[in-house]
Amino acid sequence: MDDALVTLNRAFGVLRTRNVPIEGLALHPSGTAGESRLTFVLKADAATADRVAQQFHKMIGVRSVMVLANQDSTTEATR
Amino acid sequence: MSEMLSGAEILCRALVDAGVEVIFGYPGGAIMPFYHALPDHPRLRHILVRHEQAAAHAADGYARASGRVGVCVATSGPGATNLVTGLAAAHMDNSPVVAITGQVSRPMIGRDAFQETDIIGITLPITKKNYLVQDVTELADVVADAMAVAVEGRPGPVLIDVPKDVQNQKIEWQGATKRSRASQAPRAGARGQSLTPGASPGPLEDGVRAAARLINGAERPLIMVGHGVILAQAYAEVRALAEKTGIPVITTLLGISAFPDGHPLHLGMPGMHGEVHVNRAIQHADVIIGIGLRFDDRVTGNTASFAPQARIVHIDLDRAEIGKNVPVAVGIVGDARDITRRLLAAVEPRRCERWLEHIRGFVRTRAESYRGGMSPEAILASIYEASHGDCTIVTDVGQHQMWVAKLYPYQHPNSHITSGGLGAMGFAVPAAMGVHLARPSGTVWAISGDGGFQMNMAEMATMVQEGLPVKMAVFNNGYLGMVRQWQQFFHEKRYSCTPIWSPDYVKLAEAYGIPGYRVKDASELTETVGRANTQPGPALVEFMIEQEANVFPMIPPGGSLSEPIETAPAGATGD
Repeated sequence: MDDALVTLNRAFGVLRTRNVPIEGLALHPSGTAGESRLTFVLKADAATADRVAQQFHKMIGVRSVMVLANQDSTTEATR
Repeated sequence: MSEMLSGAEILCRALVDAGVEVIFGYPGGAIMPFYHALPDHPRLRHILVRHEQAAAHAADGYARASGRVGVCVATSGPGATNLVTGLAAAHMDNSPVVAITGQVSRPMIGRDAFQETDIIGITLPITKKNYLVQDVTELADVVADAMAVAVEGRPGPVLIDVPKDVQNQKIEWQGATKRSRASQAPRAGARGQSLTPGASPGPLEDGVRAAARLINGAERPLIMVGHGVILAQAYAEVRALAEKTGIPVITTLLGISAFPDGHPLHLGMPGMHGEVHVNRAIQHADVIIGIGLRFDDRVTGNTASFAPQARIVHIDLDRAEIGKNVPVAVGIVGDARDITRRLLAAVEPRRCERWLEHIRGFVRTRAESYRGGMSPEAILASIYEASHGDCTIVTDVGQHQMWVAKLYPYQHPNSHITSGGLGAMGFAVPAAMGVHLARPSGTVWAISGDGGFQMNMAEMATMVQEGLPVKMAVFNNGYLGMVRQWQQFFHEKRYSCTPIWSPDYVKLAEAYGIPGYRVKDASELTETVGRANTQPGPALVEFMIEQEANVFPMIPPGGSLSEPIETAPAGATGD
């Protein structure tokens, strides 16, 4: 997503507005200038995860969205 | 050739460049540089409202009536926070509004300065995008970007917060730069996709073919249309689809006027106050084609029992809407006009006579009596007659809103404007001012209850000062009627804080220098409403209606569409 405070704030808002609790989060530079990578860890069923992903998709300032199931995210982390 | 310009001057030029002609606003400390520059730009007509909320509603009304961006301006702090209700209404109903707010100077931000408020933070969830302009060099691009974002895709409000020192900052001006589209990189799944549950998104044609198969094989199909049809101006396509297939059409509150009211295939409005036959049709349908609506809870009632036999085809511009509220058999992401046109080409011609006969069997007739014959039907018929069926109706929120939605015979597309999603009382009067500016040669009636009218009636002064000939209708029953109805039905008739006193509206109109009328008996309707309608300027008509009249039928909140309340509960008096 865009590397901007207001985009970060808006991204939190997508979850807060829908009352989806955040278990963990991390913000990293993405490697591309002007973009950051924001990772949320959510305890949510697949339907909720998909619903919030749809909201992130249409959020202005978001470049791409990936939903990782628990197993995938572990794989990602140990790769 | 370059010249030295201030941020405020650049702001004005950027608005002119974007084609803005009308601004609704209210000056104050942090926006004063903008107001200093404004008189040098006579192409920008400024409408001085009496409260910033009205500026936002008026910009919203302007946007809905014109299809163009509505612009409102306020100062920092209270000016900005007063815009919030109007922006939330525009957000819920997808209306393209750009709000410009002054902000305290950059060195003062975060110091709790006088009239400082974090309007960016406050409006995050009710805007598509908002900007705190950090430097004057960004300003022209930000305005261009904001104007585009507001109308692109699913429209909505955008806010630009401009610190006072940025408005005063001077730069060498080379003319507007090309709009930065960095934040508008194409996003996955934006439009033009088929979304079948359990399958990955496929090509658009697959969805259209699947939808056409469902429609061709359906025995009891329905078309439900919402605001998306009005936003996409898909009137002709929807009508052609209905006429080719003989499928009856239901219009949601914001879809009203997308399909002619008197058309033999038009059923009416569904949901909480939908007629019994409309809701019964939904409950018996085997296929529902939903175009540009979001299956809001006021439409569906309890979603678990909504349309239990129907397979739903959902067409929406916003992918996030597909499957959000009701499960769908086929989802198609795209513009209502484009997709309906494709669907029209793909379906086979057919008729639904048996199904229509079946639905006609659900129709109920009600006999209600009203004091002085002042039924909602009679009042609305007089407005229809006086305006020869050619005016824009703007409604507020409550009982009158539902009566108008159900009873007014809309013939022209986009001639019904109301605060649907947010349900903001006080909307009608200021929004009607915006509608007039968008359609200066047409007539606009703002219809309110005695509660909602009193929320923004100060805007009569705006109408007089700015020459806005809005016709105002006030349905006066001495109650906050819809809340009173709920109290009667669900709160043991405990009318807690719903009786509401009104001033003498005829004298009030006189105080503002405009004609005011009071109608107590139906026999006076034609003449009085006709006279108000032909007045050259604004006019106010107060209709004294039955105090405890109810809106029937009613689906209790969270109830099933199959179980309407059709009479007042036992023990309750009135109506």
